[in-house]
Amino acid sequence: MMNPLVLPQSISVQAERSRPEGAEATTSEASAAAATSYAIHLRDVTKSYRDTGFSLRNLNFVVKQGDFLFITGPSGAGKSTLMKLVYGAERPDRGEVRVGGQNVANLSGHRLSLLRRRLGVVFQDYKLIARWTVAENVAFVLRSQGVPKDEILRRLNPTLKLVGLQNKADCFPTQLSGGEQQRASIARAIVGSPRLLLADEPTGNLDQDNSLQVLSILKKLNSLGITVVVTTHDLHLIRMGQAPVARLQNGQLKMISTPGSEAS
Amino acid sequence: MRRSALPSPVLKVTFTQMQYLAQETLRGLQRGGWMNWAAISTVTVLLFLFGISLQTSWQVNGLLQNMGSQLEISAYLRPNLSGETLQKQLGQLQTIASVELLPRADAWKQLVADLGATDLQSATDALGQNPLVDQLKIRARSGEQVPKLAQMLSGFPEIEHVSYLNEVMQNLVQLNQGLSWMGWGVIGLLTLTALAVINTTIRLIVVTRHQEIEVMQLVGATTTWIYLPFLLQGLTFGLLGGGLAIGFMAIAHHFMARLLVTQPAFLQSLAQNLQLTMFQGALLPLLLVGFGSFVGLSGSFLAVRRFLVR
Repeated sequence: MMNPLVLPQSISVQAERSRPEGAEATTSEASAAAATSYAIHLRDVTKSYRDTGFSLRNLNFVVKQGDFLFITGPSGAGKSTLMKLVYGAERPDRGEVRVGGQNVANLSGHRLSLLRRRLGVVFQDYKLIARWTVAENVAFVLRSQGVPKDEILRRLNPTLKLVGLQNKADCFPTQLSGGEQQRASIARAIVGSPRLLLADEPTGNLDQDNSLQVLSILKKLNSLGITVVVTTHDLHLIRMGQAPVARLQNGQLKMISTPGSEAS
Repeated sequence: MRRSALPSPVLKVTFTQMQYLAQETLRGLQRGGWMNWAAISTVTVLLFLFGISLQTSWQVNGLLQNMGSQLEISAYLRPNLSGETLQKQLGQLQTIASVELLPRADAWKQLVADLGATDLQSATDALGQNPLVDQLKIRARSGEQVPKLAQMLSGFPEIEHVSYLNEVMQNLVQLNQGLSWMGWGVIGLLTLTALAVINTTIRLIVVTRHQEIEVMQLVGATTTWIYLPFLLQGLTFGLLGGGLAIGFMAIAHHFMARLLVTQPAFLQSLAQNLQLTMFQGALLPLLLVGFGSFVGLSGSFLAVRRFLVR
């Protein structure tokens, strides 16, 4: 097996390669120490759906702590599936999905829940509870983890301030614009202080201004040390993002752009 | 030294968790709407019938035991035989608690008085002689020994006839058993109904809250943490049903007591025999609440088991 391609900002993506017999153990041992420093590490991951014919094939993919990565690709290429594999909503048919050194595919129940507390997820459709205010939606993450009330209050205001919603804390989602709803969704994803933030088409429903606002927040979070992975097919966002881009197509992931080069 | 007024972190977290569970349980109940009442009323009817059946069973058993201890065998001697010798002889037997002799003369005197006649001599003359025989009233040490003892007494040559309340008692036992079987059958069916209603109610609540549950799962809430409030909702159905059933039983008792005041003395005395013991009186509400909790928890567990065990 070839070593993962080392790229600026440590993003490594490798297409399917044939692995020589016996090479796996040696590679595993050599990379054991490094594995824990990877925010995400996919090894030979295959996932397919018989009914739709869709599949991800032998993906090898590394994102280091503190990186920012765009994953792009046409609709149905598997961007959301890739995200779901990372946060454990889907299991690979084969291969390993490691997040912070832990194989997500082996986790279930309580251990999977504990892993999910270390990462934040942002969705295209926000997934905010319409009956609750912004503050309640954000606080819900901590409440459902049994965090004491004063600790929730302590974390709530700085988080809302970070996404510029400190004045909208008592508004219901229906009273917010799409951009504000997405920012509320980001606040909910980061209130638990995750090390890794996964944003699945976060600007899919937003206009350009709101998309840039969301991008600006994601970049700010990245500058605070949070690893950010964004799936998008918004080329303008990618251009503005000034971050490495990987393209997912036909079940394969390819590095197509790094900062300084033009995204195609 | 001044003590800190702040609670310990462990206490604080525990309190937060309890508060969260209580709030989520209440929120779930609010979502249940009228389905809550369907569940609670089914549990109430079930527990009310359960309570009534159990109480009746205890009461009839108590009555039978009382009757058993009061049971005495009447042994009628052959004409012109005196019962004194036999009284002494029987008094030495282990199974017999006491033997009382009712001489024919006294019995005749009593009978004549009961019949309203005042002149004993003229009554005797009218029949030619005292028609009665000496009677022995024999009390067994326990009710269970009565049939055996009666059989043994029939074997004595001095004794012409033996009688006791065996038949009445056996009828009562059979009636009680029949009613018990019927009661438990109905309770069994109602338990299944209550489980089905609670199961459906909790499932509906789970469906209406699926979005919250999905978000909770994604943000790392554990399965137990997500579904425990649903189990607590089932428990609440059971507890409320138990409380209502106890209330209805108390009301029923109250009305029965008021009704009995105007009834003849023998009915009142019968009702006194039907009183529960203090232990039974305390146990009955506990059993109702316990059974209600069990049904409530089981119904809700059935509703969320596929999420909890995966």
